[in-house]
Amino acid sequence: MVGFNFSESPERQLLRESVHAVAASFGHEYYVEKATSGGKSDELWKALATQGFVGVNLPEEYGGGGMGLAELAVVAEECAAAGVPLLLFLVSPAICGEILSRFATPEQCAQWLPPLANGEAKMAFAITEPDAGSNSHRISTTAVPSEGGYRINGTKYYISGVDEAAQILVVTRTGLDEATGRATLSLFVVDSDAPGLEVVPLPVEIRAPEKQFTLFFDDVAVDPSRCIGGEGAGLRTLFFGLNPERVVSAAVLNGVSRYALDKAARYANERQVWGVPIGTHQGLAHPLAEAAIAVELARLMCDKAAWLFDEGQDAAEASNMAKFAAADAAGIALDRAIETHGGNGMATEYGLATLWGIVRLLKVAPVSREMLLNFVAQRTLGLPRSY
Amino acid sequence: MFPMNVVVCVKQIPDPAAPQSLEPGTHTLARSGKLIMDDSDAYGVEMALQLADAAGGGEVTLVSMAPGGETSGLRTALAMGAAKAILISDDALKGSDALGTAKVLAAAIKRAEPDLIIAATESSDGYTGTTPVQVAELLGLPSVTFAKSVTVDGQTVKVERQTESGFDEVTSPLPALVTVTAGVVEPRYPSFKGIMAAKSKPVDTLTVADLGLDASTVGAAGAGQEITDVAEAESRSSGEIVVDEGDGAARIVAFLETLKVI
Ligand SMILES: Cc1cc2nc3c(=O)[nH]c(=O)nc-3n(C[C@H](O)[C@H](O)[C@H](O)COP(=O)(O)OP(=O)(O)OC[C@H]3O[C@@H](n4cnc5c(N)ncnc54)[C@H](O)[C@@H]3O)c2cc1C
Ligand SMILES: Cc1cc2nc3c(=O)[nH]c(=O)nc-3n(C[C@H](O)[C@H](O)[C@H](O)COP(=O)(O)OP(=O)(O)OC[C@H]3O[C@@H](n4cnc5c(N)ncnc54)[C@H](O)[C@@H]3O)c2cc1C
Repeated sequence: MVGFNFSESPERQLLRESVHAVAASFGHEYYVEKATSGGKSDELWKALATQGFVGVNLPEEYGGGGMGLAELAVVAEECAAAGVPLLLFLVSPAICGEILSRFATPEQCAQWLPPLANGEAKMAFAITEPDAGSNSHRISTTAVPSEGGYRINGTKYYISGVDEAAQILVVTRTGLDEATGRATLSLFVVDSDAPGLEVVPLPVEIRAPEKQFTLFFDDVAVDPSRCIGGEGAGLRTLFFGLNPERVVSAAVLNGVSRYALDKAARYANERQVWGVPIGTHQGLAHPLAEAAIAVELARLMCDKAAWLFDEGQDAAEASNMAKFAAADAAGIALDRAIETHGGNGMATEYGLATLWGIVRLLKVAPVSREMLLNFVAQRTLGLPRSY
Repeated sequence: MFPMNVVVCVKQIPDPAAPQSLEPGTHTLARSGKLIMDDSDAYGVEMALQLADAAGGGEVTLVSMAPGGETSGLRTALAMGAAKAILISDDALKGSDALGTAKVLAAAIKRAEPDLIIAATESSDGYTGTTPVQVAELLGLPSVTFAKSVTVDGQTVKVERQTESGFDEVTSPLPALVTVTAGVVEPRYPSFKGIMAAKSKPVDTLTVADLGLDASTVGAAGAGQEITDVAEAESRSSGEIVVDEGDGAARIVAFLETLKVI
């Protein structure tokens, strides 16, 4: 009986090592420098793409690696573990890449996937609106048929990486489902510099090279060939893409956790305050050990979710649990790593407090703790819907 | 264009970043965990790949002697682009010294009929720096050590050989053995395609008998050396700390004079 196999294949181990080595050759200082100066992580992204890492999950016929979400999660985790947690992994290869691979026509795939796979282009993802965050049914950005195409009007906000993405995959409302009374959604690939689209920076307290933007769509014209998955089919398309996004969020968080715990363990072994390494004191050792357990459990769930997704099975519950567990574990791991470093924990030089923003962010985005708990309460436990 | 076959010696060693221990009794380095490619050999692999590429053809073959049928380090080098590997793994090799290792490597290298053999100047764990030249001697080939640059022109290899004061330019006929320093070239990272391709590349695992060697001439049985005891290195006395009170420069000069370096 085979049962479970928890050992990674030699190929996956090599992938980890090689991604880690490339990312570490840039390192956290590079990341912080770019984040602070308003620079982009272009050289890093290019280096990862040249090695075939950014597009591991995209189909081979479009220049990708032909592997799955599990491999993309390895790439995202190892980058973060090497000090470069890239939010772009969540949007470009994970949500956009997976949606395109699955739902785009061969012509659309041929147009949009090769540049994503070879790193020439990135794609942002825009769903959140001022009145529709956790509740996607309230999306009010509309795409209305006009002159053989569509015109998009509305506002999106907190959209990451629009300044470095050539295109944005935009979720719009295109009609009303008579049966449910809910909006029917459609997804469009929109150029970041399309006429009528105004892109305004939205400053946040996160040290990451990726910046956020408010997008004002004023009669932005799109060709029907830019509609992904067919008009009105957006909800199904969207739900498919959310699981990869959650898994990759979890992977990034798990990488940050490993990075933080690694630093904490080294420091606790070296730093002496009372003549012995501070790691001798159980007051520090046990909280770190607890964090290590939480992180390892989150990593297991992340593997499971990616595996289910790659096997074509229902990955929603596992993806949600993985994202929840990884976000909480990272919060604990980073906080305890900072505690272990005393005052140094807050110093830019030690590269821990610089990660606070991204770890805190990933508790709320791309989906909040509360919405994940709602899902588990309803789906796993069969409790009544609360909203 | 002369297609060129290059053999690279790849030592697989315990991860230097992990805590190390010695085997009780034999005092040798514990090699029970996973072994990885010695970083020093990444330069040789890269150099070989570039030379084969520049020659317009030929293959890079890896040769490694390691316990337990270990191939992790070889997989890394195969993922970088080497075509195949020969691994010699045999319980009879326990306790090998550098000469014993050289005998085994030489016998394996001979099978690949290389135009050029590349090894690192010294390994990161044993670092006697004596194995490669012994391999060359056993094969009756010329050897050039400490290469900081290697080029091949037809049937000769040209090496810039690092010296204390600069470098020598050395030319040798092929086949030859060259040891390279870190920095001879910048090793590539395995790409995703390379990693997947490595999966199906052949690793030929051989025993001492397969190589036609007499087991009594290798391993502990053939070793001319034995580790009889291991002692903690004496901790160095801490240096003198000089607080600069305006006479710092003069005191440094005085100190250097006592060392007779100026
Ligand atoms: C830095 C950053 C980057 C982002 N990048 C992107 C991006 O690239 N693309 C994109 O589309 N969006 C992006 N977002 C938006 C992000 O996905 C949303 O902020 C997130 O989904 C939460 O939505 P909201 O902000 O509207 O919160 P709201 O929906 O207003 O929720 C507010 C609070 O109420 C809670 N809540 C809501 N409903 C319930 C309920 N039923 N039960 C219990 N609690 C509830 C929520 O959990 C939350 O704590 C980003 C946000 C940030 C801050
Ligand atoms: C006491 C003792 C016990 C040992 N036990 C074992 C054992 O149980 N199993 C075993 O396999 N080996 C064993 N060895 C062999 C040992 O690990 C070295 O391979 C050998 O002694 C070479 O020494 P070095 O590391 O100083 O190499 P150096 O001369 O410093 O190496 C220079 C270069 O030669 C090449 N090279 C050296 N060794 C190898 C190798 N093994 N494979 C491929 N290329 C190589 C590499 O390119 C290396 O960078 C033992 C050695 C000693 C001294």
